[in-house]
Formats: sequence, C-alpha cells, structure tokens
Amino acid sequence: MEEYPEEMRSPPVSLVSVVGCSELHTSISTYLHSLDPPINTLALPDLSKASLLLTPKPTTTPTSDSTAPPPAGILKREWLLKHRTKVPSVVAALFSSDRVSGDPAQWLQLCSDLDNLKALLRGRNIKLVVVVVCSNPNDEISEDQMVAVRKRADVDAKYLLTFYQNPDGDGDGSQLKESLYRLGSVFVELASKYYRDEGRRIKARIERKSSNPPELNIRYSFKVAVYAEFRRDWAEALRFYEDAYHTLRELIAGTSNRVSIQRLVEIKTVAEQLHFKISTLLLHGGKIIEAVAWFRQHNASYRKLVGAPEAIFLHWEWMSRQFLVFAELVETSSAAIQSISPLPMDTADRPLTEWEFQPAHYYQLAAHYLKEKRSSLEFAVSMSEGEIDCSAESVVPSSYLGQFARLIEQGDAFVMQPLNDEEYMRYAISEGKRFQDSFEIIALLKKSCESYNNRKVRRMGSFCGFQMAREYYALGDFSNAKQSFDDIASLYRQEGWVTLLWEVLGYLRECSRKQSRVKDFIEYSFEMAALPISADASIQSFRFEESRPAGPATILQRETINKEVFGLVSGELRLASIENGNDLKVCDGNPLHLEIDLVSPLRLVLLASVAFHEQIIKPGSSTLVTLSLLSQLPLNFEIDQLEVQFNQSDCNFIIMNGQRPHVAAMIDSQPGRRIETAPSLALSTNKWLRLTYNIKSDKSGKLECISVIAKIGPHFTICCRAESPASMDDLPLWKFEDRVVTYPTKDPALAFSGQKATQVEEPDPEVDLNLGAFGPALIGESFIVPVTVTSKGHDVNSGELKINLVDVRGGGLFSPRDTELSMDSHHVELLGISGPDGEDESQLNTDEIKKIQQSFGLVSVPFLKSGDSWSCKLEIKWHRPKPIMLYVSLGYSPDTNESNTQKVNVHKSLQIEGKNAIIISHRFMLPFRRYPLLLSRTRPVPDTDQSASMPSNETSVLLVSAKNCSDVPLQLLSLSLEVDGNDGTERSFSVQHGGKDLLDPALLVPGEEFKKVYTVTPEMNSSKLKLGNVCLTWRRDSGSEVQSGSKASVLTTHRLPDVNLELSPLVVSLECPPYAILGDPFTYFVRIQNQTELLQEAKISLADAQSFVLAGSHNDAIFILPKSEHIIRYKLVPLASGAQQLPRFTLASVRYSTGFQPSVASSTIFVFPSKPHFKMVAVGDDRLESLVAE
Amino acid sequence: MIVCVAVVGHQNNPLYIQSFTDADDALKLHHIVHCSLDVVDERVNNPKKAGPTLNETFLGLLYPTENYKVYGYLTNTKVKFILVTTDLDVKDADVRNFFRRFHAAYVDAISNPFHEPGKKITSKTFAERVSTIVKSFGLSSTG
Repeated sequence: MEEYPEEMRSPPVSLVSVVGCSELHTSISTYLHSLDPPINTLALPDLSKASLLLTPKPTTTPTSDSTAPPPAGILKREWLLKHRTKVPSVVAALFSSDRVSGDPAQWLQLCSDLDNLKALLRGRNIKLVVVVVCSNPNDEISEDQMVAVRKRADVDAKYLLTFYQNPDGDGDGSQLKESLYRLGSVFVELASKYYRDEGRRIKARIERKSSNPPELNIRYSFKVAVYAEFRRDWAEALRFYEDAYHTLRELIAGTSNRVSIQRLVEIKTVAEQLHFKISTLLLHGGKIIEAVAWFRQHNASYRKLVGAPEAIFLHWEWMSRQFLVFAELVETSSAAIQSISPLPMDTADRPLTEWEFQPAHYYQLAAHYLKEKRSSLEFAVSMSEGEIDCSAESVVPSSYLGQFARLIEQGDAFVMQPLNDEEYMRYAISEGKRFQDSFEIIALLKKSCESYNNRKVRRMGSFCGFQMAREYYALGDFSNAKQSFDDIASLYRQEGWVTLLWEVLGYLRECSRKQSRVKDFIEYSFEMAALPISADASIQSFRFEESRPAGPATILQRETINKEVFGLVSGELRLASIENGNDLKVCDGNPLHLEIDLVSPLRLVLLASVAFHEQIIKPGSSTLVTLSLLSQLPLNFEIDQLEVQFNQSDCNFIIMNGQRPHVAAMIDSQPGRRIETAPSLALSTNKWLRLTYNIKSDKSGKLECISVIAKIGPHFTICCRAESPASMDDLPLWKFEDRVVTYPTKDPALAFSGQKATQVEEPDPEVDLNLGAFGPALIGESFIVPVTVTSKGHDVNSGELKINLVDVRGGGLFSPRDTELSMDSHHVELLGISGPDGEDESQLNTDEIKKIQQSFGLVSVPFLKSGDSWSCKLEIKWHRPKPIMLYVSLGYSPDTNESNTQKVNVHKSLQIEGKNAIIISHRFMLPFRRYPLLLSRTRPVPDTDQSASMPSNETSVLLVSAKNCSDVPLQLLSLSLEVDGNDGTERSFSVQHGGKDLLDPALLVPGEEFKKVYTVTPEMNSSKLKLGNVCLTWRRDSGSEVQSGSKASVLTTHRLPDVNLELSPLVVSLECPPYAILGDPFTYFVRIQNQTELLQEAKISLADAQSFVLAGSHNDAIFILPKSEHIIRYKLVPLASGAQQLPRFTLASVRYSTGFQPSVASSTIFVFPSKPHFKMVAVGDDRLESLVAE
Repeated sequence: MIVCVAVVGHQNNPLYIQSFTDADDALKLHHIVHCSLDVVDERVNNPKKAGPTLNETFLGLLYPTENYKVYGYLTNTKVKFILVTTDLDVKDADVRNFFRRFHAAYVDAISNPFHEPGKKITSKTFAERVSTIVKSFGLSSTG
C-alpha cells in the first residue's frame, strides 16, 4: 500500500487559493485547515503573480469527433495530483481597502489585476471571491466604491467580502474571527459548488457521447468519482469508480490474451487503482462483507488474465500486490471487523469463509503469488541471459498511468518515445532483477504466521511457518529455518501427521548436517528412521520433488537413513559438513550421548520399561526385576552393553552382550560393580527384548530404577529414562498404527501393574514394647500406665518413645494436632511421664523428656543392650468420661553407627475407658410433723425455675449421699459442705450435722451409698440461699494388691443448687406421744401458728378412724389472731394395737384458699397392747448419726 | 474432480488420507487437509457464528484456496471427514451426498471387529469403496 502515491491513499481535500495580502495567509490557511472537512490553501503573495499558478488550460479541448484516434492512455498519471495540489476550486483575491479608496493609479492597477485573474479563471470555471481587507475598522469604504469593485470583478454581492484585519489587536479579536468565519463559509460553499459543477460537466460528457471510446468513459467516470470524493459524496464516488472498473473490464473481456503486454499492464494498473479506491471506500464505510466479496470478484476477474507467457511474472507480481494491498487494508480496518461479529456465512453466490476476513489469509496468498513470480522471473531471466541492453536505463513512466516510455534527449528537450513490447520486457526483467523476492516472501509469511498464531489458528500458522522455513532454508539461513521447523515439527508430532512430520524432519536433518551439528543430525535421523511409515504408505505414489531433502516417505528410505545413522555412530561413516569444510565423525574425541526422557520423540527409537516383580521386599532378600527394551527402527541392531541405574547406586549393574566378548574388555572394571552377561542384546523392530535379573537391597525405603544406558559402538550411548509398564504412555505416532500390541513383560499381569520402583521394608523389630495398664480409669485421678521396653536381640540406640492420645470416636487420628481438635478443651490429658523406678518427673534429666502436650508426648529412651529393659510411667488424667486410644510407638536404630542406619519402629496401642467413680446426690427434708405453708408449692407458677424452696425461720434437713458407681472399692476420706465464695461475707445460714467427721476412711464397695445428714437454718432475711458445694475426697482402696491407680486422694465436688427462702404464713404442727397403749387415752394436739400480721380464718376437720375413739370437734371454723397460735386438742383412745392410722386432720386456709393434710407416714402411731417395759440405756451423743444404708 | 479425501480422528490425527491425483502434490494436499482442521475447530468452538449449519454434520465449505475447495463433515463421534476438490462449481447437494456415502463406508469399516477404534483404517475394502465413491462424485446430478 505504501507504494501508492499519497494522493491515492487519502481521500481528496478541497483546494482553494488566496492571492494577495500575504500577511493574512497564515491565519487563513490555518483556519481553513482546521475546518471539518478541512480545506487546503494555496497562497500567492500578489495578485499579479496569479498567472504563475494557473497555467493556461491546454488548448486541446475534448473533441467530439468520433473519428479521432483513440486516446493514448486511460488515466493521466498526474491528473489527481494536479487537482489536489495545483488546481484550486476557489480563488480569493485579497487587497487592502486603501487600494480602492486610495489614489487612482492604484485603483487602475487593481482593475487590471482583477481582469487578468478573471481571464485566467474563466476557462476553468474556478470561482472567484473578492476580499477587501480593512486594517482599521474605521476606514469604511463607501457603498459606491464597493459597487465599483463588484462590477469590476463581476462577482455576486455575496462573494465580495470585507475582511477586518486588526494589526493592533481589537481586544478579543472577534472581528478577525468573524471575518475568517465568513470567508470560510464562502469557501466551503463555492468549493462544493465548483466540484459539483465539474462533476456534472464530466457526467454530461459521459451521457452525451455513448459512442465515446471506452478509455474516455473510464477516465470520465474516474473524474466524476474523484469530484464526488472532493464533495465527500462517497456513495456517488463508489458508484462511478465501479462504473469505471466495469468499463475497464469490458475493454479486455473479449480479447483474452491477445492484448499486447504493455496494454495489459496498463489495464491492470488502472484496475488496481480503481479496485484500491473501491475497497478503501467499502472498508471505510464498514462494509467488510461487500469489500471481501468485491475483492473475490476482482481476483476472479483478473486471475486468469496472465497475458503473454514471457511476461507472466508481471502477472504474478500484480496478483501478489493485490493480495498484499488488500491484506493491509483489511488489517488497518480490523477494528471494524471485530465489531461485525456474527458473520453472515451465506452471501448471494458463494458463502464467505472465516479466513477471508483475516489479513493473514491474504498475506499468505500474496506470498504464494510472489513465489510464483519469483520462479517465472527466474525463468524469464534465464531466457534473456546474454541480451545485455543498457537501453532499459532511460525508461521512465510516461504521462499515462501504467505506461512506460523511453526518455530521449533531443537537443535541449526531452522527448518521450513509446516502447515496443520487447523493449518493455527487457526493462521489466531488469527491474525485476533488482528486488530480492525471498526476503519479501519471508516477511509476508511471517506476518501471516504471526497473525494466525495470535488467533490460535495453529495449523494454518504452521503451514505458513513451514513455507517460511523453506524460504530460509533455500536462502541458506539454517538457524532461522531450524527454529521454525522445530516449532512446526512439534505440532505434527502431537497430531500424528507422519508424512508432514517426515518432510519437516528431512529439512531439519539437512539443516543440522549443513550446520555440522552431529548430535542434532543423529537425533533427527533416528526419529525419521523410527517414524511409522509403513509399506502401505509407499504404495501411494509420493513423487517428491528432487529438492526436498527428506526423500520419499517409504520404508526403504527409512532403512537407508537407519543404515546411515548407525554407520555414523559406529564411527564408520563421517558427516560431510558443508559449513566449515571438515568432516565430522563420532570418535574418541567426539563421543556422543543421547538422552531420551518421557516426552522425547526419540522414545520411538528406544523405550525402556522396568518392572519389579514384587511391590514390597524385605531388606536383604532378593527379588526379580524385568528390563524390557523396544525399538521401532526398521533394521535390527545390537547393543554392546546396558547399564541399569537405580536410586540406590549400590544396586546398579551392567549387562554385557555375550556375543561380543571383545567389548567387555574395554570396560574399565570398577571394583564391586555387578556385571551380568546376556546371551544376546539384539533389538528387532517392534519386539520387546526382555531381560530378568535378581536384585537385592539392604536399605529400606524406595528402590527405583532411574535409567537404562545403552552403549552401541565405542563412542555412542543412549540414556533412556526407565518407565513403569503400568503407567507407560503409548508410543507417540505408533499408537495410531494398526500394529501388533505386545507387552513389555511375559506376564500380562505384570505388564499392567508393574512398577519401576519397589518398597524395601524396614527390618523386623527385636524389641518388646509393653503397656501394663488395665481396667477403666476413674475421672479425676491420675491414671498410671506403665510402659516397658524390653530388648530381645537388638540394641536400642537413640530410641524415642512417642505417645499419642486419640479419641476413639475420632477414628485412628495419630497426629497430635488432630487429637487436640477432636478433644475439645482436653477431656483427657497426658499429665506427665515419669522415669523408671518411680522417679519423679522432676528428677529426670530435662534433656530426656522432650515434649509433653495434652495429647502428645515424646520421651527419649536410653541406650539398651540386648536383654535390658527400661520402663516409664505415663500419667493420664480424665476430666470427662471418654474412651480413648493410647498409641505408643518406639523408634530406634539397631546399630550404633547413627549415620547410615535406619530407624526401626514398634507400635502398641491400648484402649482405656474413663469412668465416673462417685455420684453425689442430695435431698431437702422438713422436720417431722411440722408443716409450714409454702405458697409457692401450693400454687406452682409454671415459668419459675423448679429450684427447691425452703421456709425461712425454720430448720430444714439436708441429706447428702455419695454412691460408688465404679467397679473397684473406694476409700472415702472426707465429706464436707463448703460454701464457695470468699469467707469474708456473712454466712446466710448455719449448718450443723449431727455426727462428727469421719475418723477413719470409710470403705465403699461398688454400688454402696454413703449418706450424711445436715440441718440447715437460714439466718439471713434473703430470698435465696446459696448452699455451696459438697466436697468429697476419696481414693482407690488399694488393699494389699498392687494397683495401677495412684495413692493420692481425689477430690470430687458436687454443686448444691440454690434454694429459695419463703416465709410461711401458717405453720401446722402435730403433736402426739411417741407411742400409745391399747385402751389408754392420750391427747393429740394440732398447733396452728399464724406468722402473719393478719387475722387468719381456717376450716378444720377431722375424719373418724376405725382404731380410735375420738373426743373433740370434727368440723370447725377457727380464727387465728396475728402472730399467735391456736391449739386444737383431741382426746384419743386406741382400740387396736399395732401401727395405726391416726384420724386424718385437714385444714383449709380461707385466705390462701389452700388446704393441708398431713402425709400418711406422719400420721401413723404404734399402739402397744400393754405398757411396754423399756430397758433404759443412756444413748450417747457421740453416736454416729451417719447411717449406712443399702 | 476430487483430489483428496481424509478421515481425521479425535486428536486431529489422520486415520485415512488418500489423494487421487497424478501430480506430485500429495504433500500439499496433506497440508491443505491439515490446515482445514483449523476451520473445523473454529466452527465447532464458535457454533453461533456458524448459524444455519448448527447441529448439522455437514460443515460446508471450509476454506477456499486458490486452486482447491475444501469441504468438511463432522460425525457424531467427532470424527472429521475432509474433501478436497478442484471443481470450481460444486453443488452443495453433491457434496452432501458424497459425505453421506463416505460416512456409510466409514461406519462399515470401523464396524469390523478387528478394527481398533482410534487407529488408522487400513482396510482395503474401505479404500476400494472410497475410490468408487470418489469416481462417481458429481455424476449423479449431471447424468
């Protein structure tokens, strides 16, 4: 596109001219240029110089004579440039006002200048504007003078302007601005009028003379289109450009190839220019689809117009340029392409495809045609060899577009002399020789390739890259070629396009040969030889060009390459180097080592699979390992020696080829290296070579085969990474082939599951680890677990004991962190580890105990000789009932040499249950036969908490009992009631208990209960009573047996609930003797106490009883005075002996509407048949009040 | 005239490629077939651009080179068929018909119990059948 002149590439801009008053030109031209659309200005300093600008119109007006000879050309080369830079549409004559109003001589001069100007413009229809410049707003020109000027210049009043120039500045410059504005609008109007008139004039010519020669019609259409462009009427411009294009096409429609070379060149040049204009207009209008379709049509019309065979390279060059220019056009408007997203696939005749919107596509084709051009040019050059003609030098482009002429000096003047076709061809060939097409082709392909790759169109990109690399190769730029070829080869390898890969590898092989890179050459040769090109492919007649270095893709060629490369590696052949002249060979000074890893394309050449027959082996015992090798090279070959390398270098061994004993001598025998000999190490195509050997390792851990190194010939080795048969990838490329699938091992199971690594176990431990605890642990106590380490054969060096506590429900969580998480706030914790012989933890060396956490401990074990033993005790405390798992593991090394020995581990685990030892309960009771009325009990409010309530001012009884719920007998050491909180505060109640504290520990067998009775008297006038905690100390009753529990006593506390205190309004107490005697009357008192300040009304009733005769009122209503007591007396005579029910007394309080009836137990009395005789024994106060009850 | 047909597998590897030209442009045809896979990818990955050809096995004209036209076809198992022809005026119906017959031949070939899916098609019967289909291409509509 750059080779087009500027006037072609940009849309035309209107041109005006200002004459005279040169001091104003800058401001006017700047202003006009800033307009939208801009206007270019042509400035002349003086009116009298106007004739310099406007050369008189050529006298030859277009004749209407149809018999006139056809025009010499289609388009004038300079026409467009002339109209853009030389022929203004409007001329403005500027002169200062004093020339009008001043002296007559000046006026006359002005008149003659204006006349001259008018005469110049008349023939060209150029519009005239007269501008009178007033430097001072005050020097007005009279109306008469203005009319005179107008008449003289013969312009419309509209086009006679007064321009106010303010050299001194008029403050804001508004007058200047206004003048500029007026001038600008007049220019715009007149310019547009001029271009329209010109367009109309030419259009009329087209319409008037249908018999015009087509050349003229093309020219006229072109001109109309250009004028339309000046006016920015793109639609009309497009229409007339297309008209011109079609007319041009008709020009050669029938003549086919009979046209002369120069004529065809001219037509194509014009077509190119018209096409360029049309494409630009379409693309600028955003009509990308139309543009592409137009280009396709343009291409289709002219592709076949190759012209004369000797000038065919001109055609290819032209084609290439079409594609290049269009590619650049599409690329520059690619922003527009992105916006047109869903491409309509179906246009009228043929669907457009994706690539036709990509500049890369056009670049690629431009390169393609340029290659065509190069080959035809080379041919043309070879044909014209010898005809040296210097006359080509004076050939220049002639005045018509696409024509060339010879410039001949005739005296002073130069004369254009037309060329004949032969001369022109010589000129064209000599011009063509000047250019290096190869670089151009590479640049085009590179652009295309990058553009495709950016859009992730990899295959097209690779194809371009392939062509580019071939160009590089042809140019001898092997490093660039190799780089491109390598990129492409990887894609073809990946997708399995063997024939394409073969071709690329052929080039790569040649590149490395020419760069004398022996290693690369051998690698590429090996890969080529191992490619899956079967005999079938060779049937397909691939007749490759001679120049292609890969040769035919046949099995024969593979074998040839195979032979060559083996000749090279064995040192028999040399690699003929091009670059530095000397031959290269693989020899002593130049050994060769190839690495084949898991992704290398050379896996085809040699694949090593290693399988251990056992997944786990014992240290020191031997297992079998199978080594399998596979090659896809077409010819059989022998390996001289194989070296198998493991991660444990002690296991490495070498396999010698038994058929080649002479090679064995060459090995520098390393001492201690294991050497095996195989009967044969020959590899044939697609057939596994299987070798099985014993292997033995003393070290525990992983034993893995790393690589297999094959040595072929004295200086060539291939190192092949070992692969597990179980996880082996298919061979690339060969996996698509229909071939016999074989297994690397004889045993198919091993082929599916075999691994290149095996696990060597640890040696068996010869140390006993014993956990001595049994039975459940009790909550609160420090549970002791004795751990004993006894050596039975191994010495224990640097032993370490790890202790883990794991929640059973949490599963087998060994890690200390997890156990901590699972045991929220440590329900069970490891308190400490005490050393042997009952040593205290504190007495142990601080170095030895390394770490104790709540659930994890680490302790070191001292050196133990075989037979020795060592023990320690773990102290564990439970806070909640929870079963836990105790894991203890001992790690030690059996040898004293710490550096290389491995740790042996012993693990033991024990599940321990944590249980509650004692359950403490309590009960509140009231004194016998005394019933305070508690209103909260009679009317329970559902919302209040169901805490116990107690009458204030009364003495209540608290019964505390402790029950042994464990499986072992316990010793109770003390039981006490302790009020929590500080002692400073007054006790709100007094507690007494009948008996003394325990003097001796009480033995509590499993299931037994221990009770203690307290009397509680509230002393404070508060509503709540905090009773505090019951504290019980106990320990296991060890007796004589050795117990794992500690001797320390354990404190168990039980919190007593708070008690509500209530004032009872009424207290009823029943009084009767402790026993009665048959027939002997006794008195039964009912005492009702009113504790309120109110009069209390109560209804009483007494039911008859069978066993008693009763005297007293059965039913009555009584009134009890405030703070007084009412006593009701009954006289009773028992009629039956034994435990008898007293008559039931009932009281109903009217005020509280509640009733009272004593319980059955409290209204029972024992009646003796006769007066009993008691033996009176003094009962001491020191009697234990505590009762032991079942 | 059909100059090349190809069957391309899942990994864009050629399963069967056969050219029917005497000229030595087999390699060039391989390149063309390989490049056309880009268009297939593009159409499969951006189905909304493809518009009316959505959900159709026939992919239509893949791309025009200067001398060839390339058509594509995608089976339900994502195996691609590629056709390269030198005819400039090809009827869509002919191409569709060709692919239908080609697909049938392919199905028969891979139904062979001894054929392993994903491997190259080496059946001679298939090759013969394909060459028959290729020879009869375009005859049905013209004749």
